[in-house]
Amino acid sequence: MRAIILLPFLFICSSLFAQTTISGRVAEKSGEPLLGVNVYIKGTYDGATTDINGNFSFTTYEEDSLILVASFIGFHEINLPLSKDNEPLLIRMREKVSELNAVVITAGAFHASEEGKREVLKPLDIVTTAGATADVPGALNTLPGTQTVGETGRLFVRGGDGRETKTFIDGMLVHNEYSPSAPNTPGRSRFSPFMFKGMSFSTGGYSAEYGQALSSALILQSKDLAENDRTDISLMSVGADVSTTQATENSSFAGKVQYTNLTPYFKLVDQNLKWDKAPEEYNSNLAYRVKTSETGMLKFYSNASRSDMELYESDIANPELELPVKVQNDYAHFNVSYRELLGENWGLKTGASFTKSDDFAALDTESRDQNLTGFHGKVVADYQYSDRLGILGGVELIRRNVDQILSDESGSFEQDFNEQLGASFLEAEWFASSSLGFKAGLRAENNSLTSKNTLTPRLSAAYKTGDKSQVSLAYGQFYQAPQTQIILSQPSASSEKATHFIANYQWLSEGQSFRVEAYDKRYDNLTRYSQVFDPSTYAFDGYGYARGLDLFWRDTKTFKNTDYWVSYSYLDTERAFKDFPGSFTPTFASTHNFSVVVKKFIDEIKSQVGLTYAFASERTYHDPNTDRFLSGRTPAYHDLSFNISYLYSNQVIVHAMVNNVLGINNIYGYEFADTADTNGVYAGRAITPAARRFIFLGVFITLSKNKGINQLPNL
Amino acid sequence: MRKNLFILFTALCSITVLANGQFEKAMGKNIPAMFTAETPEALQGVINQLNRIGEAETNRWEPYYYIAFGYIRMSDMHENGEEKDRFLDLALEAVEKAENIKPNDSELEAMRGYVHMMRLVVDPATRGMKYSGMAFASFQKAVQLDPTNPRAHYLLGRMQYGTAQFMGAGDGGACESFANAKALFAEEENADNPLAPTWGNETNNEVISMICEKGGE
Repeated sequence: MRAIILLPFLFICSSLFAQTTISGRVAEKSGEPLLGVNVYIKGTYDGATTDINGNFSFTTYEEDSLILVASFIGFHEINLPLSKDNEPLLIRMREKVSELNAVVITAGAFHASEEGKREVLKPLDIVTTAGATADVPGALNTLPGTQTVGETGRLFVRGGDGRETKTFIDGMLVHNEYSPSAPNTPGRSRFSPFMFKGMSFSTGGYSAEYGQALSSALILQSKDLAENDRTDISLMSVGADVSTTQATENSSFAGKVQYTNLTPYFKLVDQNLKWDKAPEEYNSNLAYRVKTSETGMLKFYSNASRSDMELYESDIANPELELPVKVQNDYAHFNVSYRELLGENWGLKTGASFTKSDDFAALDTESRDQNLTGFHGKVVADYQYSDRLGILGGVELIRRNVDQILSDESGSFEQDFNEQLGASFLEAEWFASSSLGFKAGLRAENNSLTSKNTLTPRLSAAYKTGDKSQVSLAYGQFYQAPQTQIILSQPSASSEKATHFIANYQWLSEGQSFRVEAYDKRYDNLTRYSQVFDPSTYAFDGYGYARGLDLFWRDTKTFKNTDYWVSYSYLDTERAFKDFPGSFTPTFASTHNFSVVVKKFIDEIKSQVGLTYAFASERTYHDPNTDRFLSGRTPAYHDLSFNISYLYSNQVIVHAMVNNVLGINNIYGYEFADTADTNGVYAGRAITPAARRFIFLGVFITLSKNKGINQLPNL
Repeated sequence: MRKNLFILFTALCSITVLANGQFEKAMGKNIPAMFTAETPEALQGVINQLNRIGEAETNRWEPYYYIAFGYIRMSDMHENGEEKDRFLDLALEAVEKAENIKPNDSELEAMRGYVHMMRLVVDPATRGMKYSGMAFASFQKAVQLDPTNPRAHYLLGRMQYGTAQFMGAGDGGACESFANAKALFAEEENADNPLAPTWGNETNNEVISMICEKGGE
């Protein structure tokens, strides 16, 4: 009786819950089996993880219209309706191309960010490099592709002049990015490295989003919302600054005021120059960030400064005669940018910047007063069509008004121009797989002064040759307006052109990186003249080339608490431009540049010490006493710099730095009198640094509720 | 008789109906497995099971809590910084999934801080500034949300100790936090939810004997 009753129930049960075995294999498109894939029936606990051969097998009591899911990190999820035939399944999964696994197009560019693991540099490296004096260009000058030009401190990239490198902050062009400096003293960037969370220093072949730079683009990304409230006070041998950061959940404000005055320093340390008024500067930086939504960010930034200095410079022909020199600069830069995601695949970036710079320089009775007003507006949209294809496009307007008054005893002479550049650009990035990527861009520019339109292509590609290695190639054409004085004299002056070819190999492992890059750069339409102030002598048919090889090795692993990098650049360049009677190696180029940067944290003395050695081979100069143009050669350049940061307490750090520890008498070049003396000889003298060494001392104090915070990461 | 049969029938046929019992059983098996898995492969298997449970039980936060812990362990099993980061991304993603189900929870906030702390460990010199602030903020918030959560105190202590050591000396108040955690571990009960986190007592005792009972240096 019991059995009779029970049987039909059991029958019903077992038919309701018939156990099915589901098995199969999961592999990549290429056939490579995948280990660790989660294969399961959607909405149930039933499933399995694939083994080393990609096989899986599990049982389920579920039935009817079942969906089998295969899910694996870094791959597109598979949803598969199950049929009832119980045949072993073969599931093919396709890899997602993501920032994490995709090959990165690195030809021409050094990237630095706080997060990225595959980057050769960190923003922090900028500020801890000995000899760089916490200056962005100062630190980048230890990378291959740059040439040491000690008297300016600017970025001279691959045979390019300093003005061929342009700086962009949050996508916006910055005019006059260097503070004025004393003669033959490196100028500093106006922008503190602490403001930036990331940077990309391109030594060629950069994106179509940027223009007006023949050689190089330095692209800086400012920090997002600050996390902590803090106040910092710095007392330095050259001045003092106070900065504060106030953070709320959705906004943060950071402000810094700085006063620099070199008078006390010059009293202590002998200078080659005779100062009437040592350099003095007031500088303020304000930044305000608002998180407008989960994905939106609005940033305001301003920098305002005033600086001046007065000194005496002796006449070349008559050293007894000392002529007064006066340099003054008023500067204001305001930058606003906004970014937001519009839906899942669309992004928008927009910004505007405004710059006003008033430069005054006088030598004896001659003076130059140059006023620049710059505006830049830009809108960029990007669309991610799939994980493999993304498109970026935008328009921008760059306006520049320059007004210059030249005066001497005989009167004054005014020149000005109003330049308006309209540009649009489009760039597509496509990944054939995570190991092979291409980028193609096109930039169109219209210049109101020349009434010319230019169309420049930018192409690059990268291929992963192994887990740690990759090769990339880049090609691009670039236009840039000639130097300001040329446009002032002849506003319709043609733009200059450069064409880059770059091949790069990179090997990156945890804690070690190596890269080698070869390039060939061609210059066309360079401005030639016999008299820079006389437009009737202008011709726009100058030309030139620069080719070379850059090597970089960095190792943070081999020696405990020690980080070092080595850079070498070989450069072969000549150009026919300016007043050159033919094709020659310009004075700013040196064939070999070599540098080693070492940083070590020594626990015993709670200090980080740094050493930088830089070498540059001889540079050319022209001696009018010889017939052969640019036949002079300076001695090679050597510099050994040292710095130390001592952690006195959690909130107090003492920092000291010495440039040119060995006191080597470096000679940057020679300058000669305009006219020969009675014996027919042009008097000359060496161009040397204003002082043999530069010594810096500072105490940095941090006030913060969070006791773990100090300025160490900033030093 | 009929009653008995009926019971038998339901017992046999309602495996899926009695979802709660199944949930607790499955979790009860996977939670210890997550802590004891010794290879990345075994751990991935447990995480996959927890993921299946999480997807089926859309209103339970516990699977994602343990997935987050699993990915922290996974990150720890890898040497390469880029891989560590990849697993920490997944851990954070799991914390966020759990928080969507149970917002403002002390255990989840502490787990979020744990992820930040591990992120910091990958590259302290560069990431110190950013992630120490974030980790401290999370642990402090976790203590605030539930002052009786021993794990919030224990993790806060680890962060305090690590920071003090990085800066040179002292314990940065870590021993006080570990002592708070010890007292709370002793009182910890999970009467209302047997799946709620209970881990941490042993390691807390270990760090106390290692750091605090040797004079704090």
